[in-house]
Amino acid sequence: MKSAYNETSIYNLAVIKETKRWYKHHFIDQQQFNTIAEAYKTPLYHPNFIIRILLFVATLFALAGVSGLFFLFFGSSNEHGILTASIFYGIISFIFLELVFLKNNHYKSGVTEALLYHAIGFTIVGISGLFDFDNFHVTLFCCLLIFSFSAFRYLDLLCTIAAILSFAGVLFFEFYSVGGIFQQIIPFIFMIAFTITYIVSKKLKASPTLRIWRNNLLMIEAASLLFIYIGGNYLVVRELSVNLMDLSLEPGDNIPFAFIFYGFTIFIPLVFLYWGIRSKDIVILRVSLFVIAFTVFTFKYYYSLGHPEVSLTGAGIILIALSIALFNYLKIIRGGFTRENLLSEKWGNVNVEAFIISQTMGGNQANTVTEDTGGGGGFGGGGASTDF
Amino acid sequence: MTKETPKELFEKGLITRDQFNKIDLVVSRKIVSVFYELRTLLYLGVMLFTTGAGILIYQNIGEFGHIISIITLSILTIVCFWYAFTHVPPYTNTKVKSATPYFDYIVLLGSLLFISIQGYLEFQYGTLDENLGASTLVTSAFFFYIAYRFDHTGILSLAITALASFWSISVSPQKWYSGNFFSGSNLHIIAIIFSSVLAVIAILLDKRSIKKHFTFTYLNFCMLIFFVGSITGLFMGDLYGIFLLLIYTGCAFAYYLARWEKSFLFLLYAFVAAYIATTYLLGRLVIREEIFLWFFYSIASCGGFIVFIIKYKNHFSKEK
Repeated sequence: MKSAYNETSIYNLAVIKETKRWYKHHFIDQQQFNTIAEAYKTPLYHPNFIIRILLFVATLFALAGVSGLFFLFFGSSNEHGILTASIFYGIISFIFLELVFLKNNHYKSGVTEALLYHAIGFTIVGISGLFDFDNFHVTLFCCLLIFSFSAFRYLDLLCTIAAILSFAGVLFFEFYSVGGIFQQIIPFIFMIAFTITYIVSKKLKASPTLRIWRNNLLMIEAASLLFIYIGGNYLVVRELSVNLMDLSLEPGDNIPFAFIFYGFTIFIPLVFLYWGIRSKDIVILRVSLFVIAFTVFTFKYYYSLGHPEVSLTGAGIILIALSIALFNYLKIIRGGFTRENLLSEKWGNVNVEAFIISQTMGGNQANTVTEDTGGGGGFGGGGASTDF
Repeated sequence: MTKETPKELFEKGLITRDQFNKIDLVVSRKIVSVFYELRTLLYLGVMLFTTGAGILIYQNIGEFGHIISIITLSILTIVCFWYAFTHVPPYTNTKVKSATPYFDYIVLLGSLLFISIQGYLEFQYGTLDENLGASTLVTSAFFFYIAYRFDHTGILSLAITALASFWSISVSPQKWYSGNFFSGSNLHIIAIIFSSVLAVIAILLDKRSIKKHFTFTYLNFCMLIFFVGSITGLFMGDLYGIFLLLIYTGCAFAYYLARWEKSFLFLLYAFVAAYIATTYLLGRLVIREEIFLWFFYSIASCGGFIVFIIKYKNHFSKEK
């Protein structure tokens, strides 16, 4: 089995995308960029992000119509009939995707993603439905199989994440259902399994023959690091033990081997951070920042002092001071790190930033008399929905 | 894209040795930029700090520690603006490169703290109930001044939201979910007028070459407010013909602006609004409750749209 795409086309597209970033950051001039784009011509249709969203939504609406008609015809048959039809319909969608769009060089065009998720959805629901939905072995293995297949063949990133999550699900539930000692060692199984996944994906990423899957492997790498941490995190282990394994904890009691998990919760982020700085690996570095925040949250969760506003202010001061100090420290290149923006990221756009600021920082409340908050009361809108 | 790509390009003679040396440093990760990581940390810091401080000053009102915290915040605000004013280059109508990578967050921090303190003072001295309107107007004016003086698009969007909330319009997707976008009746009409006037002002400013890079932010807010306002009017149902015309006019205008600003986002707004309006019209006149017709409509309309976009793909692929 191989990818549904021509490898050279994908590679050329990646080169064009990358050199466009160089051009935007004035590493090369327009003339050169045009020459490169000509030399690495690709037949793939890969529109920009907004057009992709438009096409994605339009395709979903159109498919809703198709599925509606399809199931109006089959809706009268019995449950088995509908589910079989659903699998059949999902497989037809896969074939349709390949023959109509991939043959015409669509590459992540919005249409392809919509069709793919649609096909996956119907196939998985159909298969797990045939097993009455409650056989989680079948459901999870089926998810793992179909998501891995889609991630591999269509290079889809969301499917890659879904496949990793299904893998974690399989790992967890298979050991969980065996019971006994196997339930106890799930955290360690997770840490070992995802360490292996991490090392393997990192090795594979370096291989030039697998270069078109580079982004997928990157996702696996980051997700594996997160799962290594989650496997050892005190909060996760404790809450899962209490909720799923019927461990009843009296106040003052603790989970078995609590000190080990406290240790993991503290040291894994530090190891990540150290290793990230040491090897100049931006993936570990980002994951480490994220898990440090989660470690702080874990400890605040169990040892709260009851003053969240003081913690917020304190954390804010620390973060501001730390980042400004680092900005000043990295004014010159130190240890290979610089504060300068060398090549912009897709999301490092000033307009997106402005929108995020307006959605999370005050100024949002409507001027109605019933609201008794002043200018300062409305901060902290939380997770902004950036429908950009 | 692999680590060998720059070398490959260099060997093919597509980039010069100089460029190769520079690019290879970055691609092979001999130099790693932590620009966005640090900016994200700083952003989180500012957000946590202002949120925490905002809650803090409303607690323990009248106690001793409270007065100290107000004084501390005031000093901090002054420090922020002192830093900002001493580091900012003189005002120009064009884009200004900021002095340090964290300059704009210092300005943001100062502005947010200033607003916290202003809000607190009004709360404490009881002028709030009568003058809430005036207070948002002051906030907005202050934000506009800061935005133009320090060339800060983030503050500009805060200024626009504050100005909109002076007219009781709440600009936040979070509010749209809960259906509280217009807390009173006829607010959608105010929203339509407000956004149209603001758009005209933004375009006039652009024509005079005053902070041209602000135009996108202005127009983005205007379009969101305009379309949500007019679609709300449409769904109210009585005068739907008028709102239909308004939406179509808005779409035509948004399409024109999309070409002008080279923004695909505006194009997205135009298509979505036009689709909603047309679907509403057809639903009301032709399709009604025929489920079959609805299925066929969604297939035909969306399918047609997809074909249209793909067929004219060159038309829709101009880079910003």
